[in-house]
Amino acid sequence: MTQTPRLTDPAASAARAPAIELRGITKRYGQVVACDGVDLAVRRGEIHGLLGENGAGKSTLMKVLSGLVRPDGGLILRDGEPIDVADPHVAARMGVGMVHQHFSLIGALTVWENVILGDDSPAGRRRGGRLSRDAACAEVVRVGERYGIPVDPLATVDSLSAGERQRVEIIKCLRKDPDVLVLDEPTSVLSMAESRELFAVLRGAVTGGDEAKAVVLISHKLAEILAATDRVTVLRRGRVVARLDTRGTDAATLAREMVGREVSLGEEAAALGLTPVAPAADPPEGHPGGAPAAGAAPVLELDGVTLRSPTGATPLDGFTLSVRPGEIVGLYGVEGNGQSALGDVLAGLAVPDAGAVRVAGQAVDPRRPGALHAAGVGVIPEDRHRSGVVLDMSVADNLVMTDLGPVSGRLFVNRRRQRAHAAQLAERFAISCPSLDAPLRTLSGGNQQRVVLARELSAQPAVLVAAQPTRGLDVGAIEGMYAELRAAAAAGVAVLLVSTELEEVMALSHRIAVISAGRMVGELAPTEADAERLGLLVGGGAAGPPAPSAPSAPPPSSAAAAGSAR
Amino acid sequence: MILDDGSTILSSAIRLAAPLAFAACGEYLAERAGTMNISIEGMMITGAFTAIATSSATGSASLGLLIGAVAGLLVGLVHGNASHRLAVNTFVVGLTLNVLALGATSFFHESSELTGHQVTQVSIPVLRDIPLVGEPLFVQRWPVYLLIVFIPLTWYLVERTRWGLELRAVGENPQGADVTGIRVNVRRRQALLWCGLFSGLGGAHLAVGAVGSFNDNMTAGRGYLVIAAVIFGAWRLRGTMVGVAVFGFADALRLALPAVGLRLNSQLLIAAPYLLALAAMVAFVRRTRQPAALGKPFTRGIV
Amino acid sequence: MSAPTRPDTPSGPGASVGPSASSGPGVLGSADRAVRALLAPTRNSGGSPLAVAALTVVTVAAALGITALLVAAVGGAPGKVFSSMIDGSVGSSSSLSQTLLEATPLLLVAVGACVSSRAGVFNIGQEGQLLIGAAVGAYVGLRTQGPPALVLTMTLVCSALGGALWAAIPAVMRYRRGVDVVVSTLLMIFLAEQLVSFVVSQPALLQETRVAGQVVAPQSDALAPSFRLPMIGDYPGFTLGAGAIIALALAVVVSLLLSRSRWGFKVRMLGHNPLAARHAGVREATFGGVALAISGAFSGLAGGVVLTGEVYRLQPGMSDNYGWDGLLVALVARDKPIAAVITALLFGALRSGGGVLASTGVPAYLIDITQALLVFAFVLPPALLALWRAAAGRRRQAAVARAAVAGAAA
Repeated sequence: MTQTPRLTDPAASAARAPAIELRGITKRYGQVVACDGVDLAVRRGEIHGLLGENGAGKSTLMKVLSGLVRPDGGLILRDGEPIDVADPHVAARMGVGMVHQHFSLIGALTVWENVILGDDSPAGRRRGGRLSRDAACAEVVRVGERYGIPVDPLATVDSLSAGERQRVEIIKCLRKDPDVLVLDEPTSVLSMAESRELFAVLRGAVTGGDEAKAVVLISHKLAEILAATDRVTVLRRGRVVARLDTRGTDAATLAREMVGREVSLGEEAAALGLTPVAPAADPPEGHPGGAPAAGAAPVLELDGVTLRSPTGATPLDGFTLSVRPGEIVGLYGVEGNGQSALGDVLAGLAVPDAGAVRVAGQAVDPRRPGALHAAGVGVIPEDRHRSGVVLDMSVADNLVMTDLGPVSGRLFVNRRRQRAHAAQLAERFAISCPSLDAPLRTLSGGNQQRVVLARELSAQPAVLVAAQPTRGLDVGAIEGMYAELRAAAAAGVAVLLVSTELEEVMALSHRIAVISAGRMVGELAPTEADAERLGLLVGGGAAGPPAPSAPSAPPPSSAAAAGSAR
Repeated sequence: MILDDGSTILSSAIRLAAPLAFAACGEYLAERAGTMNISIEGMMITGAFTAIATSSATGSASLGLLIGAVAGLLVGLVHGNASHRLAVNTFVVGLTLNVLALGATSFFHESSELTGHQVTQVSIPVLRDIPLVGEPLFVQRWPVYLLIVFIPLTWYLVERTRWGLELRAVGENPQGADVTGIRVNVRRRQALLWCGLFSGLGGAHLAVGAVGSFNDNMTAGRGYLVIAAVIFGAWRLRGTMVGVAVFGFADALRLALPAVGLRLNSQLLIAAPYLLALAAMVAFVRRTRQPAALGKPFTRGIV
Repeated sequence: MSAPTRPDTPSGPGASVGPSASSGPGVLGSADRAVRALLAPTRNSGGSPLAVAALTVVTVAAALGITALLVAAVGGAPGKVFSSMIDGSVGSSSSLSQTLLEATPLLLVAVGACVSSRAGVFNIGQEGQLLIGAAVGAYVGLRTQGPPALVLTMTLVCSALGGALWAAIPAVMRYRRGVDVVVSTLLMIFLAEQLVSFVVSQPALLQETRVAGQVVAPQSDALAPSFRLPMIGDYPGFTLGAGAIIALALAVVVSLLLSRSRWGFKVRMLGHNPLAARHAGVREATFGGVALAISGAFSGLAGGVVLTGEVYRLQPGMSDNYGWDGLLVALVARDKPIAAVITALLFGALRSGGGVLASTGVPAYLIDITQALLVFAFVLPPALLALWRAAAGRRRQAAVARAAVAGAAA
């Protein structure tokens, strides 16, 4: 911070109207009530946490605030004045800035172009629509310096890392000098070090006396809310269930409010974004202890898999990993380090430029579509809408689509057999749908995910790849998914869990592997793993060749390098 | 002798490329905004007919040129609203508009008596006497010289203005542009209006500039050639104009070779620009960088 | 918010939005993507079928109204024009026969277009594929000797093969080099036209035999009468070409295959979501390419049917917009072969009705205009309803917001 922070006079601050206040905001989507009379007040000088599980209505609320969605009822007050936020421009003029969960950046454009994009300020208009690169670049540098987040204004966004992109997103927002800054799940693409850095920037933004900003931090992670906020509002099923001072509360209380029942913070903790009290050391029944089938031959082997993208990047760079039957290997890493590419390779969507994929000792030709599936690799893809399901085909169709053989004759699909098969799967995996003939589009996210799981498991795979399998699910659905993954492993399936959620990886895995910059950078037993150690590994992508055969702590050099980089 | 023939061919190459170049200014900008419109053929034929009809009625070829451009703009207005307000498939709209425009122009052509008109020729003294390039460059119908303004203007709008920046953003990542507060479909409709204006002008120039009269289906797929030129040019204006020049040159050769005494198959020569366009796409499409959202409709909340 | 708000519902916001970084390895043609993305909402939005039907009645009436205005604009009498068109299309047994004759190639082209569109490949080069089919058919029909039934069958089969091969070129360009199918099929129409025009202008190829004292036209010889498609009934009474029966049978078969067969399942999967299809073992190049070739085969067959059932000789102009109009038929039928049967009959009636327009002094191009307007009349209602619903929702919400602000300020 370059400016001198002034101390806030508590009395004066309390007397002032909140910087932004939402009163009774209601938003319905068809039958679903996303927000039901939500009240929220955010004062200047505070970081206000908005906590809730996926689907609690956090994002909808913030879309209302930023003018992307009009509410069905309720009122927004800015410094006590009622306002009508009709579109994002109104929000921007009212001094509300939004950092979106999925970046709003245009990858093909440069940083400065992105930063000034969509600006309808008088200063911008005065130039008669001409762009001034130099002025824009200077501004990017100025804002970056003021908040301690430098970034090269001439770089193309596509060439930046996820952390750098977020800096650009924040600069884009702060440049307009908003009074209220809203960040929607900002840490999902950041490493722990980058998250800490971000929170420091936010803290700087709210310490400024009368000029101080108000920050809304939206998250479903308890740890983050506890670490970074001053006050917290908890949403559950579209309603506010608690307003608390962060200092006066604890994880157990927040978890209870968020989920609506007592939680042990053991098994369920991971689903809430907390490190479980007792990680896999105390496995549940039916869960093979320690390292299952330690002597068994690996059923999935990735050997030096390399994938180059057309733009010249190398999302996978000699990636090597093996998974044995009956074990869950958690592949942990910050988003954007090659997990998507790995998922694509294993789903048969991308053909590696080098390296081999072996299933049960047999090399699989990745160029043949469906070859991996036929070899016994089931995949729950990271983005199910992209490659996991066909939204406009029926539930029954989606349940059988990877293997039509058993439900069809030589030429025609046998509808009776298909329905029977689908009905059986829907029953076993508790898929709730209006009808098996309904388009998959009409199902909730959790049920769509169960369709994918049911289909992939019904093929009785030898390997199950679960890429971010709980993303976007509520706690109940997450627990169900965990149970299914454990059951699959117990039945002898080799499970590869690809996740950016540290807690999830620690709760489920027998072995934790770490991916960074498309390489395997280390492997740990869950008992050896803790947040700090994994964090170092994640940051230490440059730490020489991986040693997959010898699970160990990171070499000292990498730890030192990561430490000094921070 | 060789110099004379070269000069003639160059001259007609420029004459034949000019209508394509106008339309290419429009199509280039529209594609940068992510809209792919095959209705450019309909815009051109509409512009061509309207230009001749207007000049036939008023006696002014220049007025015809202007009204032809406006007619193309109206086609762009219809396409834009159908595709980027009503969200009907852009190819369905484009195809139907082409059938409609071809049918309507032929219908009115057959049921009215039109007299041909042509805009005046500019002939710059001294400069026109430069060997080889003098006549091609300095003796042309006057609208050709508008290109000197319009091509840089198009480049400037796309690359150097806020509007152009927003167009490019919309063409690359409409979802991202939307949350930034850019009205994606408004920008795309504006891009289509620009495209209609210039394609209409291109068609009008074909009728009252290059030819001087109207025939049924006189654009004969030139609109599609313009689309091919944008692809050929890898979505860069300079490359697009190179493509336009190549196609114009091929067309000029077709007319010129028999005069030179070279007997080449006329069908092959007519097909040459299309063949070239296809070959260019096969050769270049992989190394080009097309707008990421080209041809993708935008509806908020749907990805 | 316009139409389907599902992805925005709170159940799955995270999964519905993928940053561009996760875009797949397969480079998709923009046309294919657009078709896929657009077909989905049109099938799922647009309000109740009743509202769509009611609005369609209005838009069709508007299309006919515009047609009438155009007739009046060129000095014709709309009533007279309409009645003579009805006479010319269904008024007598011979005009009804003409309608069926015109509808046949339209239906064949449309059925093929349904196949490729369902696979997510937008083929718009039917006009050229039809011509190539006719050219190959003419070559076989004129150069082969043998039992009439065999030669005729060979002619039709080779027509289909010719169209398929011609359409396979864009397929190869698409799946080997990533060339957009819309643009390539479009450009190849012009190549096909010039190729056919070349073939019929070369005595060594298919130009008609020189007869002393007569001008040689750029067209082929006529097919021997025994090598032509048989007709049921006798002129001037009601006649039904064998081509119509073939087309109808193929429409039923394709409809069944698309909706019920394993192949159809995979084609539909590919059309809706190519990545999911690839994951499920569907090779995009094979299924998409074959769908495009099949579409070409149907257009080629249409060319063969025009050749053997209507024109009897190869002429550059013989395609007579059958390719374009057949594509429009498929659009109106929303890619359903059975619906295409009815639409093809309607468009066939328009064409045969258009044949008598000349006698009323109105240019026959009126038919092209009417057909295009009818496409809009059928395509726009669902989109209009979705737009109106969304606009009404926005107005309601804006009113709510204004009232809330006013109430709070007071």
